[in-house]
Amino acid sequence: MFRLFLATRYMLARPVSYLAMSAIAVAVMALITVISVMNGFLAETRTIVRGTTSDIVVLPGQDPAWNYAAPREAFEKLVAGHPQVSGVCARLVRPAVVKVHGRANMTVGDSMFSNRNQVLVLGIDPDAEAPVTDLLHYMDVLAIPANKDITVTDPRRPFFLDKAQVADGALRNAGLPRVLVGEPRMRELGLARGDALEMVTLPEGEGLGGDQLRTTTQTFVISGTFSTGKHDFDLATVFIERDRFREWTGTKQEFSELYVRCRDGADLPRVRDELIAAFHAARLPAGVETWMDRHSIYLGAVENERNILGFVLSLFVLLTCTITFSMLTMMVQEKVRDIGILSAMGASAGGIGAVFALCGLYVAGLGGVLGLGLGELLSSKINAVKDWIESTFGIQIFNRDVYAFTEIPTSINHPLNVAIVVGTAFFSIFICLLPALRAARMDPVEALRHE
Amino acid sequence: MSDAPEGVAAAPRAAGAGAQPARGAVVLAARDLARRYRMGQETIDVLRGVSLDLHAGESVAIMGRSGAGKSTLLHLLGLLDRPDAGSLRIDGVESAGLSRAARARLRNASVGFVFQFYHLLPELSALENAMLPRMIALGPLAWLGARTEARRQALALLDELGLASRASHRPGKLSGGERQRVAIARALVGQPRLLLCDEPTGNLDERTSAAIAEQLFALSARHGHTLVLVTHDAELAARADRTLLLHEGRLDLA
Repeated sequence: MFRLFLATRYMLARPVSYLAMSAIAVAVMALITVISVMNGFLAETRTIVRGTTSDIVVLPGQDPAWNYAAPREAFEKLVAGHPQVSGVCARLVRPAVVKVHGRANMTVGDSMFSNRNQVLVLGIDPDAEAPVTDLLHYMDVLAIPANKDITVTDPRRPFFLDKAQVADGALRNAGLPRVLVGEPRMRELGLARGDALEMVTLPEGEGLGGDQLRTTTQTFVISGTFSTGKHDFDLATVFIERDRFREWTGTKQEFSELYVRCRDGADLPRVRDELIAAFHAARLPAGVETWMDRHSIYLGAVENERNILGFVLSLFVLLTCTITFSMLTMMVQEKVRDIGILSAMGASAGGIGAVFALCGLYVAGLGGVLGLGLGELLSSKINAVKDWIESTFGIQIFNRDVYAFTEIPTSINHPLNVAIVVGTAFFSIFICLLPALRAARMDPVEALRHE
Repeated sequence: MSDAPEGVAAAPRAAGAGAQPARGAVVLAARDLARRYRMGQETIDVLRGVSLDLHAGESVAIMGRSGAGKSTLLHLLGLLDRPDAGSLRIDGVESAGLSRAARARLRNASVGFVFQFYHLLPELSALENAMLPRMIALGPLAWLGARTEARRQALALLDELGLASRASHRPGKLSGGERQRVAIARALVGQPRLLLCDEPTGNLDERTSAAIAEQLFALSARHGHTLVLVTHDAELAARADRTLLLHEGRLDLA
């Protein structure tokens, strides 16, 4: 009984124990908060990335037998025939350069994408997209707050814009194709729904090897905007109806990619492998990728960032545990005579060692539990804390324009957080064994004579 | 446990083993205890074959000049140290073959220490210091059941020593005499057979020393403890049933 009793008294009587406990609490809190934020960031990123694509993407190979225009129906039929596939839609893809109609060439002023007027134009069929991708969801006015001048008039018909709404009166009756432009580019260039936009691309068959490059320019009218939350995607993507895309570029291709939606719970890598086998069997050259394959580098980078931060902060936690070691080492040095007294009273060596080991456990355990509580509290209230810091000190902590999250995302993983505390306690006990063993092995006679 | 171990009672009386007749069973029997220390290349024989029988209820004073080995002998008798040669039986248990943990248990059950410098734990109150040996003896579960009784015993001892009103005070708030009384209560709370006192009045003024000595002898007589005093104080030693002199590593009658 004396072990627990004395350890408690020793801890309560020594201010340094509160300091060590606080250091561990702060370190654990920081680790838990950072991991919660990074997990939230990763989860949000996955959701956003997931939303800009589909479960699986099929990329047709280049085959002269098709005159480089893959047979859409054959591809769609093969893919739709897979029992785990619930929907397929075709997309056309082409790079282009955008220019605001009637203005000098303007570039976006975004710090990451300055001087960048290049976009990827995606030709889509809105009706076919609906069951396959989340595109229509990103045109919902609720997803793009407080700017009704740029949202589509009807998310179910994103490319509809009444000619009366075309800003330039001279273009109202021109029957110009409509396009959807991402929200950050609209904001950067000061565009609104109904504004005209020019896009320049290479016509079909034009290569980059000639002396003079032919281009084809077309004026479009913006029918609205979209916001997936993935900043670079939103900045660099323009949607157009697939048929209008073909008219503009003169391409023979019916599709550049097939977007595939699988049933809930489907094993995507397995579906991918089975589709590859099916294409191979049908002698249709094609590449097949899951959404994770397509974005593995990006997602892996985010995951890496989380792991590195977790690793660095774990080292910080371990470092703070060494404060407990120092504290116990000093305590054993100061309590040499107490050790002698306890021996004289009949305390065993193990019992004396346990007193000091328990001191270490107290500091690490209580510090860890305190850190767990503070970490989870801070993680759950991080946006309130961020707002307070930003308003009080005028420091911007979180730039929503970069991540396009309205708030700092967090995902609190309770089992992981408890494991962090348990690990901290175990490590502390481990490193505290040395001073505890020193106390246990002390010669009682020498200890009693200690000045 | 209280009977003399076989062989001890029949053993020849060692030097200084006392002219006084035994007042009870042999509590401690030491035979030819030797202890030497190395100081660099030099070996110092502090004890050279000390033999001693201590009987239940008797009081023995051990005197000797500084450095004669009185404290060393006391540490050997209290199982805090191991002899280089010889045997030591306490309550009939031969200590030589005991593990460190078993020696600690035997020490807790059979020996109480009083030191010159009190050696109280500063973080604990007088009462908690006095209860410490009982706390050490019992595990957490046993302590739950025995805590009230241990507290009662410690309070009763503090009361006998005139410290009932100071039970909640920490050592830092107590005078030297009060601290030594707390140390005596601590030594007696486990009702050990043997009470070993190392200069118990050596750090106190004359008046306090007399009072402490009075209480020490009275309490050990009342509770039937065997009292061993290591002291320079001839007056204190004179109160003991017998006085032994430690000289050149051996015990003689004073």
